[in-house]
Amino acid sequence: MSEQSGELGLVLLSIALVVYLTRIAGYLLGQRLRHIGRLRPVLEALPGCALMALIVPAVYRGSLIDLSALVFVVIVMWKWDNIVAATFGGLIILLSENSLTEWLHSLT
Amino acid sequence: MPITGFWRSAVLGAKESTPFCVSTFLFGILFGVAATASGLSLFLGLVMSGATFSASAQFAAMELWSHPLPVSAILLSVFLVSSRNILLGLSITNHIDGHSLLTRLVCLGLLSDPGVVMVLRASRSINNLGYLFGYGAALWVSWVASVWLGFAFSNVFTGADIGALAFAGPLVMTCMMMLFVKGGRGHKLAWVVSGISALLMAMVGLEAYLILPVAVMVGIIPILMQLGGSNE
Repeated sequence: MSEQSGELGLVLLSIALVVYLTRIAGYLLGQRLRHIGRLRPVLEALPGCALMALIVPAVYRGSLIDLSALVFVVIVMWKWDNIVAATFGGLIILLSENSLTEWLHSLT
Repeated sequence: MPITGFWRSAVLGAKESTPFCVSTFLFGILFGVAATASGLSLFLGLVMSGATFSASAQFAAMELWSHPLPVSAILLSVFLVSSRNILLGLSITNHIDGHSLLTRLVCLGLLSDPGVVMVLRASRSINNLGYLFGYGAALWVSWVASVWLGFAFSNVFTGADIGALAFAGPLVMTCMMMLFVKGGRGHKLAWVVSGISALLMAMVGLEAYLILPVAVMVGIIPILMQLGGSNE
């Protein structure tokens, strides 16, 4: 393995280490806080809050096609709880962005 | 019938991860294509994917991948996009007892968003650590295999409009959010408050890495107020 590959490997392992530390840091912090039993509902609400904090700005910055894909996913998940159908349908809508945009332009 | 053993729960987790393995597979192929375009070798791409096992972190690193490598910027960017893992770890604090700390720390290496969502959305008689491990292991296999495929067939995707899939991440997150919403054990007010505050921050142009922690902190205020109220 060349010296450059060795350096690259070191950078890649550093990236993996940073991600691993984020995975264990929350749990270890939680161990310190767990004696405060009343915090449990707060801790359990965190992933949902985080998801909303990531989804909503993305939707705000997204296009009309992105919004359409999101609505499709919400409807499929709400009615049928089918993750595969929701994901694939949403991705097909995203991939058809160019065609849909051309079609919308042709209408106007 | 309750499934309480570690390995039986791991098998259940692996089985139930199938829907998200499909989307992970797609992201893996995209990552393989992106990594090839960035000049990463197949070997290093697989080392990175096997050791990191994080689509968002790996894509963030690839965005900054240039020569000479801006190592500090890459590591900071990876930390910022992975900071939600800290919240995931906090949320399962009370759910993975009954194992040695070493076992827990090893299994947490495979911590995944959908795995945590599945553990938290419903109370079941399963070994949660085993379930998370099995869920994460199946996603890991899907991730590494698909990255390899992305490298192997990167020429097929040359010229394809991969940029159109930039919104794919939020779509998968929406699936997870819907699982929470339908799970019925939610903190819906906190989620709505987080969403509204994130929207307001996006509208005023706040940096994305600041929106997550601030929106989460604002979101938990209603729960803290509820706790304070019931204390009086």
